[in-house]
Amino acid sequence: MSKATGSKELTGATRYKSGVLEYKQMGYWQPDYVPKDTDVICLFRITPQPGVDADEAAAAVAGESSTATWTVVWTDRLTAADNYRAKAYRVDPVPNAPDQFFAYIAYDLDLFEGGSIPNLTASIIGNVFGFKAVKALRLEDMRIPVAYLKTFDGPPTGVIVERERLDKYGRPLLGATTKPKLGLSGRNYGRVVYEALKGGLDFTKDDENINSQPFMHWRDRFLYCMEGVNRAAAASGEVKGHYLNVTAATMEEMYERAEFAKNLGSVIIMIDLVIGYTAITSMSKWARKNDMILHLHRAGNSTYARQKNHGINFRVICKWMRMAGVDHIHAGTVVGKLEGDPLTVKGFYDTLLEPHTPKKLEHGLFFDQDWASLKKCMPVASGGIHAGQMHQLIHHLGEDVVLQFGGGTIGHPDGIQAGAEANRVALEAMIMARNEGEDYLAKGPEILAKAAKSCKPLQHALDTWKNITFNYASTDTVDFVPQATPAR
Amino acid sequence: MHENPRNMTQGQFSFLPPLTDDQIKKQITYAISKGWAVSVEYTDDPHPRNSYWEMWCQPMFDTKDAAAVFMEVQECRKVYGNLYIKVNAFDNTRWRESLAMSFIVNRPKVEPGFGLARTEAEGRTIRYRISSYATDKPTGKRY
Amino acid sequence: MSAKSDTPPASDEFDLEAEFRRSNVQEVLDKLDRELIGLQSVKQRIREIAALLLVDRARRQLGLETGAPTLHMSFTGNPGTGKTTVAMRMADILKNLGYVRQGHLVSVTRDDLVGQYIGHTAPKTREVIKKALGGVLFIDEAYYLYKPENERDYGQEAIEILLQVMENQRDDLVVILAGYADRMETFFRSNPGFRSRIAHHLDFPDYSQGELFQIAELMVAHQQYKLSPGAITALKEYIPLRMKQEHFANARSMRNAIDRAKLRQANRLFEKRATKLTRTDLMTIEAEDIRQSRIFAEPDKKRG
Repeated sequence: MSKATGSKELTGATRYKSGVLEYKQMGYWQPDYVPKDTDVICLFRITPQPGVDADEAAAAVAGESSTATWTVVWTDRLTAADNYRAKAYRVDPVPNAPDQFFAYIAYDLDLFEGGSIPNLTASIIGNVFGFKAVKALRLEDMRIPVAYLKTFDGPPTGVIVERERLDKYGRPLLGATTKPKLGLSGRNYGRVVYEALKGGLDFTKDDENINSQPFMHWRDRFLYCMEGVNRAAAASGEVKGHYLNVTAATMEEMYERAEFAKNLGSVIIMIDLVIGYTAITSMSKWARKNDMILHLHRAGNSTYARQKNHGINFRVICKWMRMAGVDHIHAGTVVGKLEGDPLTVKGFYDTLLEPHTPKKLEHGLFFDQDWASLKKCMPVASGGIHAGQMHQLIHHLGEDVVLQFGGGTIGHPDGIQAGAEANRVALEAMIMARNEGEDYLAKGPEILAKAAKSCKPLQHALDTWKNITFNYASTDTVDFVPQATPAR
Repeated sequence: MHENPRNMTQGQFSFLPPLTDDQIKKQITYAISKGWAVSVEYTDDPHPRNSYWEMWCQPMFDTKDAAAVFMEVQECRKVYGNLYIKVNAFDNTRWRESLAMSFIVNRPKVEPGFGLARTEAEGRTIRYRISSYATDKPTGKRY
Repeated sequence: MSAKSDTPPASDEFDLEAEFRRSNVQEVLDKLDRELIGLQSVKQRIREIAALLLVDRARRQLGLETGAPTLHMSFTGNPGTGKTTVAMRMADILKNLGYVRQGHLVSVTRDDLVGQYIGHTAPKTREVIKKALGGVLFIDEAYYLYKPENERDYGQEAIEILLQVMENQRDDLVVILAGYADRMETFFRSNPGFRSRIAHHLDFPDYSQGELFQIAELMVAHQQYKLSPGAITALKEYIPLRMKQEHFANARSMRNAIDRAKLRQANRLFEKRATKLTRTDLMTIEAEDIRQSRIFAEPDKKRG
C-alpha cells in the first residue's frame, strides 16, 4: 500500500555520506523484506504529520526504535548495520481512519537482551513515541518469536497449578476488593476480609493504592488479613486467600513485605503495574522461588492504553506481563464500569490464556502467536459488576477468570457475608445450568430467580442492583469487523 | 448473624441445595460430552489441602453414558455412605492435563467442621493450623 | 432422556405419522431389509415392537397410563441367522425412539462376564455393564452363564448382577440374550428370573436353500465379484450338500464358502500368470473355484 514513490534506499558510500537522509534512504523501509521466524514484529498505528508519506513515517518509526539517529554517522560502518536496522516492510490503511495507517516493522532478535522486558520496551517504546514526524503513534500488537519467549520464565504459578493449589475447578473464581479503599484501620480492614471469604468468596484483595499509609501500617494489614483468611478457611474447609499488596517505594521494601506475607502463610501477593517492568520481573522470580501466586493490578495502564490513536494497546501489556511472569492481571469485564469492548477483551483474554493465539483481526490480534509453553495467566474482571450479570459474565469471560465483586459484595443490604453468598450461589447456579445444557445466556435472569428462591441474599442482591448497567461506547474498539480481510 | 449453608463448601456446587441423582447424572453427562475421564473419590479427612482422597475406582476414561459413572457413585455410597464423596472430571488435553470439574455428591450425616489453632510466634506473627475435628479420631472412627 | 414425561397433556391429539417420520425408524427398517435376506417373521416382529414403542410414547405424551416398558429380549436361532445384525438395528430403533440414550451395542460371551477366581466375576460383569449402559448389551450363547454341573461356578454371580441391573436400570440398559433355541429354553427353565424379565422373544429361522443362494449372491456382488453361469450351478449344488454337514452356520457358512472360492480363483489366476488378465477375469468366479470344495469330493464325510 505504499503511496510514496520518491526516494529509494541508498547503498554503498552514498548511504554513509555525512548529512541528513530520509529514513527510507537509510534502509528502514524494505517492502520486499520477509520477516524471519526469529524476528520480533511490531504493528504500529501511525498518524503522520501532514506531508509525511506513509512509508517514510513507517521507516522513521523503524529507525527511531532501532539504530537510527537524526543524521548519518560513519560509525554505522563498524557494524553489520543492515542486520541491526529494524525494517518497516508493510503499511496498510486503517479502516475508516484516512489519516492513520498500520505499519509492520521487523526487528532482529539480536537487538534485545534475553529475559528483559525493560530492554525490549526501551527500544520499541523508548524514544519513538515523542518523535516529531508522527503526530500520534500506538503500538497495537507484537509477534514475539518463540526463540525470545524461551528466555522468559513466564507466570510463576499459572492457571492450572493455581487451581490445583486452591482445589477449585470448573468455575470462575470469586473475589472482592476491600472497600473503602482508604482509611480503614488494620483491624476493621481484616473484618471485611473475614466476612467476604466466609460468605463464599475465594479471594479478597487490597486495592492498588493501599500500601502503608498513616491510617494503617502494612504489617497491621497483613496480620489482620491473615487472621480473616484463616478463620474463613476453617469455617468453610476451603483454601482462601487475600492479595496482600506488597507495592512499595523500593525493591528492598517489597521483598520484606513479600517475605512477611509468606511467613504468615498467604497463598498470594499483589503488585501494581506502576512499580515498573524490572520490579515486576523481580517479584515474579521471587514468587516462583516461594510458591506464591502473583497478582498484578494494572494501575496506570489507562494513561497510555485507552486512547485509540496514541500509546500502547493493552493486549501488548498482556503479552509483556505474561512474559515477565504474573499469575493474575486485570483485563476487563465487558459489562462493568471500566473500558472494555467485548471483542477487544476477548483478544486480551486469549492472549493471557491460550497456548497459541491465531491471527484474528476482529479480536485485534494481528499475528499468529505461539506462546512457547509459557504458563497461562488468569484474567481478573473487576469494576462495577454484580450477581445479576452472572450469565453475561460467564458468556463473555468463560471459566478461567477471577470475577471480582467489590461493591457487589460489600454493598449488599444484608451485609458482606450475604453479599458474598449471593455471588457464590449465582455463580454455582449458572455453571450448573450451563453444564446441564441450558441456554443460560438467554435464560440467565430466570436461572438466577430460581436460585434466589432458596437463597434470600441472592434475592436481595437481584432486587438491589437489577437496573445497574454501564452502557457507554468503548473508546478502544477493534478496527476490523468480523469477517473482514486485511487489505494488502 | 448470617450463616453459611454448610461448614464444608469444597467443590463446584456446595452452595446449592444437595444435588439430586438426576442433577448428578446431568453433570456427568456434561463431562463425558467433553471427553473428560470421570472419577469417584471419598475421604474421612476433608482438610482443604488433602489433595489425595481415596480413589473408589480408576478414572473412567472410555465411558459412553453417565449411568455407568453413576453406578460407581451408588456403589461407593453403599460402602462409604457416611463419608465425603466427590465426583471429578479430568481433562487430559495438552495445556490442561488437570481436573476440569469437581463436586461433592455425598456428605456425612454430621459434619463437625474444622478447628483453628493459633500459635504465637515472634513479634505479633501467628501461625495457624486448621484441622477437621473428625480427624482427631483414628481412621474408621471419624464419622 | 428416558421416555418419561411429567408434563400434563398439551392436547388431545397426537400425530403418529409425524412422530414416526421424525424418529427415522423407517430408515432403520429399510436398512435392515437391504442387509438381511428373508427373515420375514423377524422383520415383522421388529416392526411390531417399533409400533408398540411409538404408541407407548404417544400415550405418555398425552398423559395416559403406561407402565415402564420392559425391553429386554431373547433372540433364538442357529448360528448365522442374523441375530447380531438385527440386534444392532434394534439398538438404532431404541435410540431413535428415545428408549436408550446412546444406542451402541456391546456384544459379549460368558468369558467377558465370568472370572476364574473368587472376587473376579463381579468387577468383570460390572465393567461390561458400565460399557453397555445407555445402549444394548448382547449376550451371545447366554446359557453358558449357567453351569448346573459345577456347584462353584462363578456364572451365578454374573447372573445375579445382570438380573439386578435388568430390573433396576431399565432406563439405562436393554439386554438381549441370544443362542440356540433349545438350550435357551433349558436355561430359562432353570433361571425363571430371566424369563420373567424378557418382554420379547424373537425366533430366527434357518434360511432356505433359495435364501442362502441369494445371500451368497449378494455377498459376491458387494465384493465386486460375479459368478459365471457354471459357478451358479455349482453353488446351487453346493448349498444343500453344505447344509447337511456339521457346523453348518447359515449365512456365515455362505461367507466362508465365498472366501474359499475367492482363494481358489486367485490361485487359478496366479497359475496362468503368463497370459494377460482382463477385468472380467479378475472378477469372475468359475465353476471349478467352487467345485474344488471338499464337500463335492467327500459329500458324506461330516466335515466343515
